[in-house]
Parts: sequence; structure tokens; C-alpha cells
Amino acid sequence: MKGIIFVKLNQFVDELWGEEFWDALLQEATLPSEGIYTSVATYDDEELFTLVGLIMLKQGLSAQQAQFAFGQWMFKELLLAAPPEAHKFTDVFEFLYGVQAVIHVEVKKLNPEAILPEFEFIQETDNSLTFHYISPRHMCYFCEGIIQGLAAHTGQTVSVEQPECVHEGGERCVMKVTKVG
Amino acid sequence: MAKSREELETRIAVLERKVEREKKARVMSEQHLEHHSRAVYEANQSLQASLAMAKKKQAELEFLRQTSGDVSSDISLQELISNTVELTGQFFSVECGLFIVTKDGEALDSQEDNIWRAPNQWVTDTEFFEQAVKFLPLHQQECLSMWLVSAIDDESSQAMSGFKWIVFVNFALLGDKIAWLAFFSRAEFIDEEALSVLGTAREHLLSGINRRVTDVNIRKRTVELQDTVNRLEQAKRQLIQSEKMASLGQLAAGVAHEINNPVGFIRSNLEMLEEYLQDYQTLHESMLRHIETAGQLDAQHYKELCDNIDLAYIQQDAKDLLGSNLEGLERVKEIVENLRTFSHSGDGKLERINLGVCIEGALKIAWNALKYEHIVENQIPNDLPEVLGNIGQLQQVFVNLFVNAAYAMDAGGTLTLKAHVTPDALLVEVRDTGCGMDRKTLDQLFTPFFTTKPVGVGTGLGLSVSYAILESHNVLTQVSSTVGKGTLFSLSFPLLDG
Repeated sequence: MKGIIFVKLNQFVDELWGEEFWDALLQEATLPSEGIYTSVATYDDEELFTLVGLIMLKQGLSAQQAQFAFGQWMFKELLLAAPPEAHKFTDVFEFLYGVQAVIHVEVKKLNPEAILPEFEFIQETDNSLTFHYISPRHMCYFCEGIIQGLAAHTGQTVSVEQPECVHEGGERCVMKVTKVG
Repeated sequence: MAKSREELETRIAVLERKVEREKKARVMSEQHLEHHSRAVYEANQSLQASLAMAKKKQAELEFLRQTSGDVSSDISLQELISNTVELTGQFFSVECGLFIVTKDGEALDSQEDNIWRAPNQWVTDTEFFEQAVKFLPLHQQECLSMWLVSAIDDESSQAMSGFKWIVFVNFALLGDKIAWLAFFSRAEFIDEEALSVLGTAREHLLSGINRRVTDVNIRKRTVELQDTVNRLEQAKRQLIQSEKMASLGQLAAGVAHEINNPVGFIRSNLEMLEEYLQDYQTLHESMLRHIETAGQLDAQHYKELCDNIDLAYIQQDAKDLLGSNLEGLERVKEIVENLRTFSHSGDGKLERINLGVCIEGALKIAWNALKYEHIVENQIPNDLPEVLGNIGQLQQVFVNLFVNAAYAMDAGGTLTLKAHVTPDALLVEVRDTGCGMDRKTLDQLFTPFFTTKPVGVGTGLGLSVSYAILESHNVLTQVSSTVGKGTLFSLSFPLLDG
């Protein structure tokens, strides 16, 4: 996992619960990296899951809540770091299509080793878009949060639901984004 | 609200750990940056090396392209070699190049402008040349199969000073000549890769030289062939003339007879006329005597004197004799004229001619062979269209046909000549009622030196020469013959356009 995610998680935790909480997480987690994160380095995925698990435990949150909140907060941070092409989208659906075709392509150019989720679009109507979320990390709740962050960015209101989810016993994760109002 | 001391200490501990993490993170980032910078630097170096290699390859390809272009172009061998020296010298980045041609180990030609100097100039430098050729194994007759490199260690020579290497090759030219290319370098080291490129260029050059040498051989061969063709043409013309003269020789006795006949009666007529002149003399003298004695000559007496010499008859006969002589002379003149036309070798040029006149002339020449035992039926009309032909050569053909016909009809017969115009041609037929020819004779009819006549009578060239003449007139010749019945020659002369 790219260090930027850890740096941003640190920032997110600091903002929400304070530096002491982050310090306490690290003290308890005893991670291989000792919590020394730089955005350009790459760290073991397990460290993220350990940290998120501890946050859930300490704050009494479900995995869904934790990932969702982080995802929602994360969108604007990622957008700042994203290539200029990412800023031209004004619609949630357009952006979701563009993620794969434009943004992930740019990310791969700079970080050839990065593991990125793939979207396999299944169905689109005027106000809904259904796609298959494919990632070995299964961070579909994080993805839900990101989509909500995106909607806030475009000024649209959307609902995100998962007709199928690996965490709910499904074979795969399917996201259905519906424009509301 | 003031924080308790314990709280503050905890806070400080958290911050200290945070600072510690940040410091380490910074060190890691810097290391990462350093590593990254080095990677970028190395990538850059490798790109520059690749670029330099690509440029070098490009230069090599350009060099090979130019040399190959020259090789396949039409420039002369001399130009090809000069261009190769220039291109090679520039590609190989040497200061000096040399081109000489040797035979039996000795340099040929003038040694002017045979030294090439960078950037691109041909100069004469006798001193340098003399020193430089010492490094070439000129006495060696075998051609090298690759470029050879020798170190130059001669410090004594002013002209060679500073040069470290000589790179040279040679190849065979026409006439046991050998061309040498040599390049002189001041570089410390010879670029082996460039040498291998030069090797490729050498192979191209060799094929170019071979092609030019082959071209020269082919041109030489073409000239020789043309020469042979010209000589054959000349021989053919001479053969036609010789055969004509030979047949003329055979005809000579007959022709002499033809001339002798009128000459004979002209002579006897002249003798008669001489006698008549004598009679006139006698009449004149009688008249003079009578006038001297009688003082006058009356009509009665004059008539008596005239009757004495039969003057009326003499006058009539002298007129007849003179007419006969003029006619005889006319015949001689015609025969001689025809002989002249016939024997004239001419230039073989084709002109518009009347075939009737031509055949008439030929008949006169061959007349003696025909007139005694053969009937000649000349049915050729007077109003035949003109054709393109050489009258002398065609007369030769017809004389030959007529003499052969006479020979085939040794017991007498009829020679029939006909001509008529078909849509495509003017058809002339020469038919005899002679012995005819069998298949075997017909097959060899136009073969040179084939003859059915006894040794010494025919040359065996008559019909083959005739056939050659007819061919050059674009005349289609057909022969049909039946043994015991006779032979028909059909000659189709092309009609004039329009």
C-alpha cells in the first residue's frame, strides 16, 4: 500500500481524535515500520488493516463505518494529489468512468507497482450506475466513502448500495450508485 | 484550563515520539530521493549512451547507404573509387587517404591528385606518396579478403610524422591491374566496429567494380559482334558479286557469240559497201574521161554509164546494208549495256524499277543459252506497276533462273514468263518444261555449293545467292517441281504503298 494512504490516515486521525490517539495506536500496534510513513514509500497492507482494526476497537466503530468515514474524508485529499485531468469532471458517473480510463492510467505512470482497484461497469440508466468493484484488498466500504466524497465535490446527492458484497457472503462486490433528487 | 503536570508530560512524550517519527521519515524520504535521483541520473546516462550509439549506427548506415548508392549508380569506375575514398575517409575520421593502381607491383599512371585529405580535397604530394606506398605490400599479386591494419612506426619520415595507423585493402581490376585504397590515421586506437562497417562497404564496392568490369567486357563483346556482323555483311556482298562474275564467265561464250553475230554481218556489209564505193569511183572516172574526150556528157550516155555499174541496185542495197548495220550495232550496244548493268556491283540500294525491263535485259544476257533449242514465251505485260528493287541484283536472279531452266531443258522446251498483280503482291512466274527436280534436290535447292551440274560447270552458289537477294528484297519465293514435267518459280514482290 502506498505511503500516501498511511500519511493521510495519520492526518485523518489527528484531525478527528488528536495526535495522542494516533500515538496510542502506534504504541499498541507495534508495526514493522514503527509508524514512520512517507508518502512515496510502500508499506505492507497489513499495517493499514491493523491500524483500522485498532481504530474500530477503540472508537467502537464497525469496519464499514471506519472505512466509509476515511474514504469520504480521503476523496478531497486524493483529488489534490490527482493529475489535472481529474479536475475536469463535473458528474459522479463521468468521474467513475474516468477513474479507470484516465486517473489510474496516470497513477500507473508514476507508480508502476501500485495495486489499483478495477471497475467493471455492468449497467447504466439515467440516474443509476452499477459496476463490479474488483480489488484484492476488498475495501468496498472505503470505496463507498470515496464515492460520497466525490458527490460532495460535484455537488450531487447520491446513494451507494451494494447488491452483492464479499463481506456479506457474496461472490463479489457490486456497487450501485443512484443519483437522488 | 491549566493541564496537570502528568498530562503535560504525556503530551511531551507523544510529541517527542512524533518528532522522532518525523525525523526518521525525513531521513527515509531523503534516502528515497537520493536513490531516485541516482536512478534518474543513471537512466539519463544510459539514454545518452543509447543516443550516442544510435547516432553512430545512423552514421554507419548513412555511410553504407551512400557507398551502396554509388555502387548501384551509373558513375564510372574511377568516380566510384574516388567517391568511396572520400566517403570512407570522412566516415572513418582519418586525415588522409590514398588511391593507386598497380600492375606487376609497380604504380601506374601519373601520381597526381591521388592523395585525399580531410575534410575533402584531392592533392598531389609526391613525398608523402613515396613514403606511404612503402607500407603497402604492392608486390603482392593476391587480392586481400579484408581490410588490413598496420602500425606506422617510422619516425624518420617527415611526411609520415604523426600518423599512427595505416588501414588498407586492394582489389583486382581488368588487365591484371590492382587498385589499392589506403587510409592514414593519427588516432591512438582503431575503431574495430568502424572496421567491420568498412568490411561491408568493401563488399559493396567489390560487387560494384565487378559489375563495371563485366559491363566493360560486355561492351567489348558487343563491339566485336557488331564488327563480325559488318564483316559478314561485306562478305555476303562480295559473295553476291563473285557469283555474278562466275555466272558471267559461264555466259561469256554465249554473250560473245551474241556480239559476234552482228559484228560478222556488219563486217560483211561493210565489205559490200566498200565494193559499192569502188563502183561509185569507177562511175566517176568514166564520167571524167568521157567529158575530156567528148567535151560533154549527155543524159543518154550518163544513163549508160550508170547502168554499167547497176547504180539503182547499189543505191537500194547500200541503204539496206546501212540499215542492217545500224540495227546490228544497236543489238551490240544493248547487250553491252545489259552486261554493264548486270556486272555492276552497285551499293545494293533499292529504287523504283520496272520488272518488265529488268526481265527483258536478263533475257538478252541469257539469250544465247535459249535461242537455239528453246521457245521463250514472254507474257509479261508492259504496264506492270513499279516495285522497289536493285535492277542489277534482280537481273542476276533472273539470268540465273533462265540459265538453270535452259540447263533443265537440254532437249528443248518452253520457258514461260508471266506476271500479274494480286491484292498483296506482284507475282512473277518463271516456268520451264524441263526435267524437274526430286524432293531431295528441292530440299537443297538454296543450299550454298549444292549443284546438279558437272564439276566445273556450276558454282553451286547461283540459287543460294539469288535467294539471299530475293530475301533482301522481301520477296516471297516458292518453288514447285515435278520430275519429268518441269519447274515453276513463283516470286511475290511486295507492292509499293499507295
